[in-house]
Amino acid sequence: MEVYMQKRITFSRDLSILGHRLLSSQQEQSHQDSAVTNKKDTMLSAFVAKRLVNGVCQASWRPAVAELVTTRGYKGEAPDDSRGDLIEIPLPPWTEKDGETMDIKRRRLLFQSRKRGMLENCILLSLFAKQYLNTMTEHQLRQYDRLINEPSNDWDIYYWATEAQPVPDVYTGEIMDLLKEFTKNKDQEQRLDAPNLEYLDKGSQ
Amino acid sequence: MAAVCTASRVLAKKVLSAKAIPAVSQSSRKLHFSVYGKNNSKVSDGMSTQYPVVDHEFDAVVVGAGGAGLRAAFGLSEAGFNTACVTKLFPTRSHTVAAQGGINAALGNMEGDDWRWHFYDTVKGSDWLGDQDAIHYMTEQAPHAVVELENFGMPFSRTEDGKIYQRAFGGQSLKFGKGGQAHRCCCVADRTGHSLLHTLYGRSLRYDTSYFVEYFALDLLMEDGECKGVIALCMEDGSIHRFRSKNTVIATGGYGRTYFSCTSAHTSTGDGNAMVTRAGLPCQDLEFVQFHPTGIYGAGCLITEGCRGEGGILINSEGERFMERYAPNAKDLASRDVVSRSITIEIREGRGCGPEKDHAYLQLHHLPPQQLATRLPGISETAMIFAGVDVTKEPIPVLPTVHYNMGGIPTNYRGQVITHTTEEGDKVVPGLFACGEAACASVHGANRLGANSLLDLVVFGRACAHTIADICTPGEKLSPLKPNAGEESVANLDKLRFADGNMRTSEIRVNMQKTMQNHAAVFRTGKVLKEGCDKMDAVYQTLDDIKTFDRGIVWNTDLVETLELQNLMLNAVQTINSAEQRQESRGAHSREDFKDRMDELDYAKPLAGQVRKPIEEHWRKHTLSTVDPKTGKVTLKYRPVIDNSLDAEDCAAIPPAIRSY
Repeated sequence: MEVYMQKRITFSRDLSILGHRLLSSQQEQSHQDSAVTNKKDTMLSAFVAKRLVNGVCQASWRPAVAELVTTRGYKGEAPDDSRGDLIEIPLPPWTEKDGETMDIKRRRLLFQSRKRGMLENCILLSLFAKQYLNTMTEHQLRQYDRLINEPSNDWDIYYWATEAQPVPDVYTGEIMDLLKEFTKNKDQEQRLDAPNLEYLDKGSQ
Repeated sequence: MAAVCTASRVLAKKVLSAKAIPAVSQSSRKLHFSVYGKNNSKVSDGMSTQYPVVDHEFDAVVVGAGGAGLRAAFGLSEAGFNTACVTKLFPTRSHTVAAQGGINAALGNMEGDDWRWHFYDTVKGSDWLGDQDAIHYMTEQAPHAVVELENFGMPFSRTEDGKIYQRAFGGQSLKFGKGGQAHRCCCVADRTGHSLLHTLYGRSLRYDTSYFVEYFALDLLMEDGECKGVIALCMEDGSIHRFRSKNTVIATGGYGRTYFSCTSAHTSTGDGNAMVTRAGLPCQDLEFVQFHPTGIYGAGCLITEGCRGEGGILINSEGERFMERYAPNAKDLASRDVVSRSITIEIREGRGCGPEKDHAYLQLHHLPPQQLATRLPGISETAMIFAGVDVTKEPIPVLPTVHYNMGGIPTNYRGQVITHTTEEGDKVVPGLFACGEAACASVHGANRLGANSLLDLVVFGRACAHTIADICTPGEKLSPLKPNAGEESVANLDKLRFADGNMRTSEIRVNMQKTMQNHAAVFRTGKVLKEGCDKMDAVYQTLDDIKTFDRGIVWNTDLVETLELQNLMLNAVQTINSAEQRQESRGAHSREDFKDRMDELDYAKPLAGQVRKPIEEHWRKHTLSTVDPKTGKVTLKYRPVIDNSLDAEDCAAIPPAIRSY
């Protein structure tokens, strides 16, 4: 109990630090592109909201808005994540590619679906791409492009697809819904591996 | 997109005149290899035989942007070198992101600690196949490396007093194994890998590192035994790029994908090892492949040991809890290699589960559903998604799964790639460096300890950068390169792009994976390995009969996967042949027909009066393997283990002993 009380104190201390950072980052970025600031705001406020909810949740291993730590299986005592690197070392913002035909976009997204950071995403996204990529509309392709290329941590995409974590507003939409549904595996099919590419070979069909 | 901008920024500095080189005599297709500036090249998606080549010049080129590659690129850029980082994946999507454990370092925040104890643990963990000078370097540098990362902005998890929090991890002890469990693993919650990538990538951009993202490195540009750069394919537009440099660092990761079941992403295809093999250089200790006992059958996704810790049990086709026979005390919680071997024996003896009787079951449904949901929530989801199994009702199919490659490109403790002859000993290959899982320094020897891998990446990535900074200065003039350097790589690319044989890439790949899984897995015997070598040779020959279907040049995934298959095949033949030759059991390489370790002295008995065996008669030595890419024939040589530390007074070397925990 004592340890838990100390954790709650840490949460509220973190919150004040976060609040301060949110303000200062807003000030810093006010001279930059407003689109970037808005996106960062959304991500940071979603994060702050999550921290608030966590602070409020009582001793449950899987609170309503799950901490990243507890959902990843048994890792023992894993301390909190201050996310300092994400806040203080912003990477160049992701931008959409101009002048790409839909066909080329599909080819690019196929490669980017099959080659991911960890096996779970490799299998999930390549199966998803096999099912949906060739019939996506332009709008859906753009959503998918953003979903698989903008997040910096591949695990996040896996947690959103498995509904272990809430999806940030910027990624909600048709494609995210399709992915979540697909991930549930309602037909309980065996997903042993990423599919071979030959389903694309028109010549063999 | 960023790559295109970066490439054109670089080219603004160096514009070349167009030169046409006559067709390559070997290929039957008329191939034009022309060097154009990027602005002039026109690449269409049609069936063009034109391969416009763009030349770049850098002080250093790093191939691979995982933990090791990024640390090397960052270190080099910080030291003022004009550095290029060529990667087939966006940096934060490298396989390092999968790492959730942490980095070992003897900081002494949880209890008194000494890096020499970490040194002892690592030497013992490697079953005395690790080079003690490299291990000394790594464990001594570990605290500095972690503090450095902290200064770069990595938000390590903290204790209440604000010191870096350190947790326990397997194989780590205090006082040379006599002081109980050590707590040395520093982490960033459970996203240490991601944080490492994010921090290093972000910082390196401030130093103006040039990233060539989604460029597939094809081969090294070697001339007179010296490495002069790398040739790569730009996936975005199909152009060929030659990155000329005095210093090339290979950090391309492991090659788990040679096996049917592995925990690695589909990107772990041993590209660096294959590039080095095609350059005629040896790879070291490829037979040492670490198996994790419970990966999901087929998919290979890791099912954490914690499942068994919570009461999960392993059962065979007869519903028996077989671990009780193999490890009466520890049962399902015996050490990883014991559990892996037990599962494999059960399958070999015909008690495997499933229609092909080729895996075991991990049963969790006897545990209360509430406990499953709260203590192991991730497992339920993974089992449902990848095995279609509801863990509250059915068992999960599992199999010992390839997890890490201890072997790789041989280097010294400074990160320089070496070759070896008996007359001259170790010799540095000028201009070539390697770090990370792709390299074999060798710090992990025959078996790797948990949380030592991320440490390996950071320390040796940094070592490569320091060594290059010691021996070169930024802005040095490059030695001339033959105008048609890299021609063979492009010819190979062209051949694969239009390949029209009888066997699809996926068929050959599955044949290779099944051969490796059946013949060179946990349980190895001479007869089975020999069969495997012959089968693997046959599979290698089928590469000549390969069939691809995508003839385009822009974002051609089929072509890239075929190139990766070529790379995997080179790794696979070396692995299985090295395993067949090594007649002993050491670390991760365990042979049922040679159950003991064979060292120069019998360390199980008193040493007095024993005669030291010559190197030809014992197995405490590194394997160096080379392949003739045309025939697939593997040649093996051996190299002695380095038994002295960097400074005998500061850190005494650990003489071999029997490894028991």
